Amino acid sequence: MSQQLSVKHLLGIKDLQVDDIRKIFATAANFKDVINRPIKKVPSLRDITVANLFFENSTRTRLSFELAEKRLSADIVNFSASSSSVSKGETLIDTVNNILAMKVDMVVMRHPKPGAAVFLSRHVNAKIINAGDGTHEHPTQALLDAFSIAEKLGELKGVRVVIIGDILHSRVALSNIFCLKKMGAEVMVCGPVTLIPRYIADLGVIVEHDLKKALDWCDVANVLRIQLERQDIRYFPSLREYVMLYGINREILDSLKKDILVMHPGPINRGVELSSDAADSRQSIILQQVENGVAVRMAVLYLLAGQVD
Amino acid sequence: MNVLIKSVHLVDSSGKASKDATDILIESGVISKLGASQTASNGVEVFDGNGAWVSIGWVDSKANFRDPGHETKEGIKNGLEAAAAGGFTGVVLMSSTQPAIQSKADIEFLKGKSHAHPVKIYPTGALSVNRDGKDITEMFDMKNAGAVAFTDDRRTVSDSGLFMRALQYAKNIGSPIIHFPDDPTISGKGQVNEGIPSTMAGMKGMPSFAEELMVNRDLKICSYTDGRLHFSTISTAGAVALIRKAKAEGLHVTAEVAAHQLFFDDTTILEFNTNYKVKPPFRSKQDIVALMEGIADGTIDCICSDHSPEDEENKVVEFDFAAFGISGIETAFAVATTACQNKVGIEKIIESFTVNPRKVFGLPVPEIKVGAKAELTVFNPGLKWVFEASSMVSKSKNTPFSGMELIGKPLAIYSNGLFRVCPSPVVQKN
Repeated sequence: MSQQLSVKHLLGIKDLQVDDIRKIFATAANFKDVINRPIKKVPSLRDITVANLFFENSTRTRLSFELAEKRLSADIVNFSASSSSVSKGETLIDTVNNILAMKVDMVVMRHPKPGAAVFLSRHVNAKIINAGDGTHEHPTQALLDAFSIAEKLGELKGVRVVIIGDILHSRVALSNIFCLKKMGAEVMVCGPVTLIPRYIADLGVIVEHDLKKALDWCDVANVLRIQLERQDIRYFPSLREYVMLYGINREILDSLKKDILVMHPGPINRGVELSSDAADSRQSIILQQVENGVAVRMAVLYLLAGQVD
Repeated sequence: MNVLIKSVHLVDSSGKASKDATDILIESGVISKLGASQTASNGVEVFDGNGAWVSIGWVDSKANFRDPGHETKEGIKNGLEAAAAGGFTGVVLMSSTQPAIQSKADIEFLKGKSHAHPVKIYPTGALSVNRDGKDITEMFDMKNAGAVAFTDDRRTVSDSGLFMRALQYAKNIGSPIIHFPDDPTISGKGQVNEGIPSTMAGMKGMPSFAEELMVNRDLKICSYTDGRLHFSTISTAGAVALIRKAKAEGLHVTAEVAAHQLFFDDTTILEFNTNYKVKPPFRSKQDIVALMEGIADGTIDCICSDHSPEDEENKVVEFDFAAFGISGIETAFAVATTACQNKVGIEKIIESFTVNPRKVFGLPVPEIKVGAKAELTVFNPGLKWVFEASSMVSKSKNTPFSGMELIGKPLAIYSNGLFRVCPSPVVQKN
């Protein structure tokens, strides 16, 4: 198996081949061993400079990327919109080209607008890794989610995964759907009608609005955060009512015929989409997801950096 | 200017070209002789049509020159040159400048800008003061100055009462109202058509029923008021069906479609290329089929350019931040004929550029006969050529057609005593 991906950038799962995903998983498994050793660092990216550009708030994705880069011995510069010239009206292309002029090889970007990473890849000369672009894609999250499921259940083919919550405003949901479908899993989305995109079933997923039925069906529940910051209008009357319909707690988990895995991309709104006794239960693999996140991001950086001229 | 246009087929009012080629001699703006094998006397410019067609001059039923307000994007002077390059002898300009066209002085300003140019400006005035949807403008005063219709352009008149009064008042003075049908509470912050592509791209969609809902409302109000209503740039199968039915019931309603709407569907948006960002958005393949049926059966009267010049600052940005629109006046005819190849007869397309827009706006229809004032477009409906953005006359190059082979091309215009050869380089492909 060659150590190259079929793509020049990681803009979305949409563009990846199944083989790419397998390569990323295999590489991530190796890096997971590495980061569990006493000496967690390898020199793979020693001559590479990575810029982490975050035009939208992020804690864990940013930390995860930064750690992945450090474990690979890359040089790093960080940039966030709040402390940037963006507030002074500079365009995205100008901002990035100014940073690239300082000889940066790879850009990890989070941006509030869909397609921003695709746009950037067309206009600047660097490897782009999409760390979330609006409501479009969040490819590394989907990869680490799928990797975590495969690690736990042995494979992805035929696994039934339900994604629960605000599908309409979720890049995690979209990337997860693309990734899981490519790897042969069955995918269902569950949430209030107002938060499910009208044409989502055309992507090959099952739509279910009843939480209990959805949980009875699945092997894995990937629970999404309610993205209040992306909802410019009200899609449901109150959080209280949302919890009544879609909140997951110990009681509902215990009522199921089998033990399902509970996942969450974080940060959790405890007591909203997940109660504490569900989030902290033995079924939850939320912290494994976080650990795998570093390994998967190392894999992506490593495989793309191999193509840097 | 005296011109002898040689070897051309004349297109009659139903869009049919004559079997035999002829020559047209124009002297001092008037057609002085029609007949084959004419020879030019001194001082007469000769243009060899080489078997091309000649129709009455084309009228673009919807264009924006961004003047006043954003002259750097186009401006009237340059816009008229771009229109000439696109084969038009008349353009209906939208009121949506900054500030809006909403007084007699504004209309006179626009009219005055084209009196020495082969392309005539037909201005529209705003429907509501400052286009803010509250009070109707001084339509009568603007009409007397030359306004051909009233519209708030892409700003939908949400207030049904205001829309009713505007239709009533415009009827009173014999003017049509142009309306862009869209329910903004449904289409909201949508960037593209709502469909499978928008779902895959994670982008907010504008459902086609936001258009249909407003067409439905407008038709009810049109029926109640017996006013004259022209639908601006429709895009959905549902709208075509509603308008077809309304016409059959005898309502005074007309409609237009933008040429590019016939060419692209919403799968184009997956590239996040802002040159595909238009309003109304590119819809589904089924919608395109319905739009073409609408042109073929006369439900849709006009094909317009919806010329929307935008500078790089508004287009080379993230998709959500980009402005809507295509700089399309130079390609409108070619785009329509290319899209409609083997689907809609060329006669219908020619009608929608010539007779129909004049009927919609109550403009005199010129004739091609000896003694008539010459207002002509020379074109080749079957010519294959490659369009390049770099050769555009328009100041704004926001076009998705660059590098594409198109079929059908305007070659020259004659109007207002002036002759212009369309400047774009013609590249023929075998």
